[in-house]
Amino acid sequence: MLIVPIFTGCWDRRELNELGISMAMGIDKAGDEYRVSIQVVQPGAVAQKTGGGIESTPVSLFESKGVTIFEALRRMTNTSPRKIYSAHLRFVVFGEEMAREGIGDTLDLLSRDNEFRKDFYLLVAKGTTAASLLSILTPLEKIPANKIYRSIDMSEKSWAPTTAVTLDDFIEDMASKGKQPVLGVIEVLGDGQQGNSPKSVQRVRPSVQIRTAGLAAFRDDKLIGWLNEEESIGYNFILNKIKSMVDHVACPAGGNVALETTHSKAEIKGRVAEGRARLKIKLNVEQNVGEVQCRLDLTQPDSLDELERLSQKSLEELVYRTLEKVQTEYKADIFGFGSAIHRSAPKSWRTVMNDWEENFEHAQVDVDATVRIKRNGTITNPITEEKGET
Amino acid sequence: MNEAVMLNSNLNGNIEDIKRRMGGSDDLVIRPFRMGKSARREVAICYIDGLTEEKSIFQFIMEPVMARGRSPGGADPEEEGLLEEIKDSVLSVGQLKELERLDAAVEAMMNGSVIFLVDGYRRGFEISMAGWEHRAVTEPSNQTVIRGPKEAFTENIRVNSALIRRIVKNPSLQLQNRTVGRSTKTNVSVMYIRGLADEQAVEEVNRRLSAIDTDAILESGYIEEFIQDEPYSLYPTIQNTERPDTVAAALLEGRVALLIDGTPHVLMVPALFVQFFQAAEDYYQRADISTLIRVLRYFGLFIASLGPGLYIAITTYHQEMLPTQLLISLAAQREGVPFPAFIEALIMEATYEVLREAGIRMPRAVGQAVSIVGTLVIGQAAVEAGIISASMIIVVSITAISSYVIPEFDMSIAVRITRFLFMGLAAAFGLFGIFVGINALLLHLSSLRSFGVPYMAPVGPFVVSDQKDVILRVPHSRMKTRPRFFGSRNLIRQGKKPKNPAGKGS
Repeated sequence: MLIVPIFTGCWDRRELNELGISMAMGIDKAGDEYRVSIQVVQPGAVAQKTGGGIESTPVSLFESKGVTIFEALRRMTNTSPRKIYSAHLRFVVFGEEMAREGIGDTLDLLSRDNEFRKDFYLLVAKGTTAASLLSILTPLEKIPANKIYRSIDMSEKSWAPTTAVTLDDFIEDMASKGKQPVLGVIEVLGDGQQGNSPKSVQRVRPSVQIRTAGLAAFRDDKLIGWLNEEESIGYNFILNKIKSMVDHVACPAGGNVALETTHSKAEIKGRVAEGRARLKIKLNVEQNVGEVQCRLDLTQPDSLDELERLSQKSLEELVYRTLEKVQTEYKADIFGFGSAIHRSAPKSWRTVMNDWEENFEHAQVDVDATVRIKRNGTITNPITEEKGET
Repeated sequence: MNEAVMLNSNLNGNIEDIKRRMGGSDDLVIRPFRMGKSARREVAICYIDGLTEEKSIFQFIMEPVMARGRSPGGADPEEEGLLEEIKDSVLSVGQLKELERLDAAVEAMMNGSVIFLVDGYRRGFEISMAGWEHRAVTEPSNQTVIRGPKEAFTENIRVNSALIRRIVKNPSLQLQNRTVGRSTKTNVSVMYIRGLADEQAVEEVNRRLSAIDTDAILESGYIEEFIQDEPYSLYPTIQNTERPDTVAAALLEGRVALLIDGTPHVLMVPALFVQFFQAAEDYYQRADISTLIRVLRYFGLFIASLGPGLYIAITTYHQEMLPTQLLISLAAQREGVPFPAFIEALIMEATYEVLREAGIRMPRAVGQAVSIVGTLVIGQAAVEAGIISASMIIVVSITAISSYVIPEFDMSIAVRITRFLFMGLAAAFGLFGIFVGINALLLHLSSLRSFGVPYMAPVGPFVVSDQKDVILRVPHSRMKTRPRFFGSRNLIRQGKKPKNPAGKGS
């Protein structure tokens, strides 16, 4: 017993100041090799109490190449003085080129290594490489990786044009026969070259910004196309991922009414009839009146009914447009219709399973939305309306 | 010691013997005088200067004997009934014992008695006239309360036993005296309530006391070390207090108290782990507050023993357990700190222990200086110089303060030592080491016994009815039974709770 402490080598011991805490990892293709870039926090610069001295950037980017990602990561010690520590990784971003070629092989390390948690997001950098995206500084959040992470989180919660996909989600969809994966997309606004200096952030309007930009549709592990903001919202409606969303409908009398979705429930029923996949999507949506820019008497039940009808229609159209684009253009079942048929009609699934891609393209989808408007805020009628009455 | 142990009938011979026994010590007072008006019979009183109340000696021994003593002389040197007559109608004193042995006479003088010898008799009297200067009953200095009695024991054993008896006026409250220590002959009183205390425990206490063969008992700590169950355990199995109300409560739970002359600390056995987390005030404040504070104390125990250990383990092995923001700000603080976290923690802990020890030992007048140096220099300067990280100072200070929410000092010392063990384990094995350490500690604690009672009772072994006074402190009206583990045959503490104390309605 007494000898035990003598033989311990403290092999796993790492002092905090020996760690390079990596917040984001970018993977690009460089010929036959991978180019891995890591955004590492400079703790001193992030937790700085008062300004003074030479301000260094809050993060630094280390890059290295390797035939495998593991090698590339270890080779990074050539340039980095500290061991890269990845447990606090916020996301892994793939360059567009890399994503189009397929990202499947890179996922192995991410799920095999015990230092990686499985709760980071996977993202695609639209129109750029991962490395150049990771070298952009951001305002408000000192650590760009945090800023992107929060943006995704927040927009998923309150606006719904994107969705956070973790490694496990992606692998599950990739492996599933009846569903194709999607990934969140980020893009760079402005000239990316300027973004890597603190000067960019020192301006009121940063010259370069990073923003989320809808979703990327995948077939297996290959990127096949983008969903824009509207289509991403449609996607999230179908996949039941709406937490809160704001949309507008046109008033009959001209002007617009903004409606806030507070609750949405989608039910997908699938079957195969006459050799063709048929799906029925039932949407149950609850909304609040958020903003009224037209003459509308909200005290009348009739006008609320009218609003509900309008909202229903616009919602159905939104979903139909999304479906059409995906079905005709990408031909990848990112909605999981296959799984829906598998669940509700397992036997007939077998008949369409093998050439599901083609079946998906020709599947007939009916959307039936039910909207109920629950509340209309702290005032009932629009301000212009009240003025008219008195 | 064996020669001339009996008194002889020659007064001068006896006086010489006593003198010889005392080695001619100068504080021995021998006053021969003659009895009665006729003043034919020689008598003498002997006492030790300073241990007796001299005024009372003159007033209640010398004066009556000189004035009223019948003094038949000469012919019948051993007149029957003379001593009895002196005892019955001359000496107006309370505690009086006859004695025949010389060594008993000497010992009695040591305890402040006056020896009264009459020429021609082989017997004498031992009259208790003890009266020496001692400290008055003051407020407790260590176990203070906001609400509750503010009396503390003194160095005088009789004052102490009286303080207890004044609280518990039960005739079953037993007190057995004995002396321990060959040179000091320290008075030790064993107190218990017959019918509540386990007779076997009392017997065991007496047996262990009898087994002590030592020169000196200067404080309760001597006795504690001689009679405790597991001398080499860090954890105390005997409780001590300077509060009479605490002792009274212990006696009423069926425990045994040991009063030791010369110290204001009274020992209580058996002592359980949970009792070291019960402060007297818990029972005087409202039950809900007391319960909350108990929870706080166990939380304090957790921090005091594991605080630095957990910090070391998490920051050097398990960084993934920290929220990212926290990790970054901790990492920022550690930038430029030259030592590993373990060494850093050791430096700070050692500094703190030095400050604490200095604070106790140093003359009161310089106390201020040390605390200023301690807080300013060690705290601020070390951080600003970049030797110690600020977070380590926070951890060490919280740990230091937490150890003082444990009401019993014995326990907080034990916890302080375990903290260092856990720091070592954390530095070598991370959280794994800490959990192995906790397991080992629990095994050790469960293996302890205090005078036959499992140390971890009533948690392990678990007794539902005794949970009312572990983490919870239920209202007194709900504390119907006494703790089971002290072998009490009379478990019921009180009758039914009055249904409606306010007396309204029905």
